[in-house]
Amino acid sequence: MNSEATTAWSRSVFNVHGMHCSNCARSVERAVRQLDGVRQFSLNPATAVAAIDWDPRKLSLTRIYNAIRTAGFRAVPLEGEQAEADARAERRAALKRIGVAGLGMMQTMMLIYALYAGGAHGVDAQIAQYLRLSGMLLATPVLFYSGLPFLTSAVRDLRQRRLGMDVPVSVALLLAYCASVVNTLTGSGAVYYDSVTMFVFLLSVGRFAEMVVRQRSVSSREAFTRSVPSTAIRIIPTGGTERVSVASLLAGDIVSVARGAVVPVDGELRSGRAWIDESLVTGESVPVLKDQGAKVFGGSVNTQHPIEVTCSAPADQSAIAGIAALLQRAVAQRPRTLAVADRVSSQFSFVTLALSGAVALYWLWADPSNAMPATLAVLVVTCPCALSLAVPTTFSAATSRLARAGLLVVKADSLERLAKVDTVILDKTGTLTEGRPVVLVEQVREGLSAERALSIAAALERTSDHPLSEGFAPFADPGIVAERVVEQPGEGLEGCVAGELWRLGRPEFVLRVPDAGPTGGDSPLVLGRAGREVARFRVQQNLSVTARDAVNALRRLGLRVAIVSGDSEQAVGQVAGMLGVTEHYARVDYSRKPEIVRQLQAAGANVLMVGDGINDGPALASANVSCAMAQGSAMAQCTADLLLMPASLAALGRGITLARQAGRVTRQNLAWAFLYNVTAVPLAAAGYIAPWVAALGMSLSSLAVVMNAARLTAERPTRLVEDVA
Amino acid sequence: MTIVFLLIPLAFVLVLGSAAALIWAVDSGQYDGDLDESSRIALEQDEERPPPAA
Repeated sequence: MNSEATTAWSRSVFNVHGMHCSNCARSVERAVRQLDGVRQFSLNPATAVAAIDWDPRKLSLTRIYNAIRTAGFRAVPLEGEQAEADARAERRAALKRIGVAGLGMMQTMMLIYALYAGGAHGVDAQIAQYLRLSGMLLATPVLFYSGLPFLTSAVRDLRQRRLGMDVPVSVALLLAYCASVVNTLTGSGAVYYDSVTMFVFLLSVGRFAEMVVRQRSVSSREAFTRSVPSTAIRIIPTGGTERVSVASLLAGDIVSVARGAVVPVDGELRSGRAWIDESLVTGESVPVLKDQGAKVFGGSVNTQHPIEVTCSAPADQSAIAGIAALLQRAVAQRPRTLAVADRVSSQFSFVTLALSGAVALYWLWADPSNAMPATLAVLVVTCPCALSLAVPTTFSAATSRLARAGLLVVKADSLERLAKVDTVILDKTGTLTEGRPVVLVEQVREGLSAERALSIAAALERTSDHPLSEGFAPFADPGIVAERVVEQPGEGLEGCVAGELWRLGRPEFVLRVPDAGPTGGDSPLVLGRAGREVARFRVQQNLSVTARDAVNALRRLGLRVAIVSGDSEQAVGQVAGMLGVTEHYARVDYSRKPEIVRQLQAAGANVLMVGDGINDGPALASANVSCAMAQGSAMAQCTADLLLMPASLAALGRGITLARQAGRVTRQNLAWAFLYNVTAVPLAAAGYIAPWVAALGMSLSSLAVVMNAARLTAERPTRLVEDVA
Repeated sequence: MTIVFLLIPLAFVLVLGSAAALIWAVDSGQYDGDLDESSRIALEQDEERPPPAA
């Protein structure tokens, strides 16, 4: 027996606090992977979010949290009040440390520069000693309060026998401080309290900027779940209402949604017609008129009068909860580029310490008076902050910006692949077309009424995720139920109604013939039994309002655009003509879609596949990058690298532009960090850079990297507007 | 020059006062930008009020 198949794995996504670099992430990973029962664990140092699958029979979440705490870090919930409180506490602690370091730095510099001036122009020995002691008094709280996170992180690293980024930082700080204290107590020699305080202050500011970018990135994803209220008004069957937790709602419960309130879970509209704003779930900016019995999504807003909604699923199974879960796991994945940068920066700490040792030995031999400042300058100037920040900050900023535009990154490394895309294949139904399709009865045979035919079709379509199924929803008859319904992707549906086996779908599927020949019209659907046609429907679809803009934006980016669909040549040609797309593939079933993708790839194309249905799953899996519509089938969403809000189709072009820009920013950041280190290290080793100048240079280089990445989060980056306009 | 023996302790007092004021301001939430949970609950309840009669 395969134990994998029988084990019910528990899953959890959480934040890890106290991480500052990739070495920290490795420590957490090592601590968790040592536990028996862990199936999969991923931790992204850029977002500090971890995802874990474990066997609940062998392990509990408390033990996992304890293992992380033993390694020196803290696991906290990803969202909710506790997570918000933790994030707030982290921000407050950082602000206080920066404030104390800033005040201490200003005072220390004032005193120590007076000492420098005294050295040049002469100063009373008593006053010089007084200034040294004052500097020590100021630098001590700065180092041991504001600089405490660096020191504790370094101690933790050394205990675990690894060289994290904070080890050289702490060595530099303690070396400078201890040498200064010794010189203060002996009343002779140089003191470096100004360098210590400035290093702590600037490093703390850099860490704060990094923390803000990280928290903003996580919060943009949380916005989806936060938009759903925590409580709902449930209508008691015996009369009256009660306020209950949304988590306690079950399928069949009826909730009342006031005007302007958010629909708490997925369900069906029970009362009258209503205008529903589904912008959060579907991206559609204009409210949609829903009829009685229509589906409403959790997270959408009731814009007009109070309504009643019958819950169709518990809150944790609603569409928005599914999207949020996918996103949470995406945040925990580590992109490939980040792994490369991690390896480089982890080696860098060792090289820094070795180089500083070599510089100290050289200056002790050549000129002992210059040994301490030169060694300190090398340690400080080579702090691998800029290098380790280069990739994670860019990734966080880009994914956060994309989420706001309506394109959600589900798999972490998809951003790198999206930047390389040169061909886009768009599925027609549900991707380029939208809204509830209109079903017209063309023909009815064997004495069946049109109403009865529509009701049977509606019963068969009831469980389907296909966009066409919505067109039959208004004809559903509670008295007609389809059983054992099986969906053949790209073909149709088969199920039993009143003891008879019915089929609904493409003519060749229903009539059980190899090819029914050209059918003409838009999208003919046939209802039949025992291989005989009983009714023929015509389904009319509307082009998505954003489709034309989206296709134009893609073409302006120089991308090859193609449409692929299982529909007739005429239906696909009509949509392609409206969009000005010359390359289109009609009557392509689910097995041929991946073939087309592979053919294009064989010709050297980097393919982005955009689809929504079950039949798009194989093609999505074959493409270099895949994008599913957020309201499409669960299978498409699970396969896809990206999720796209339907009315945000135009965001596709913007997403590709932003992915390309993120690649450019990453390269710029890495090049800048490399250039800075290569230039500054020889100067510091040669004794041309004072420790405080090194502290300033290192911090400014880190800030430059963070600010460069933060450009991607700007609401309207200039280059994006130029590219898409 | 003996004035520095008075000015530096005075500067220390000012720094301590400034640090204490900053810590108090941060702890009392004056630097928190986002809405806290209590504000969110208040806004949710506002949304559930019945619309004014036409």
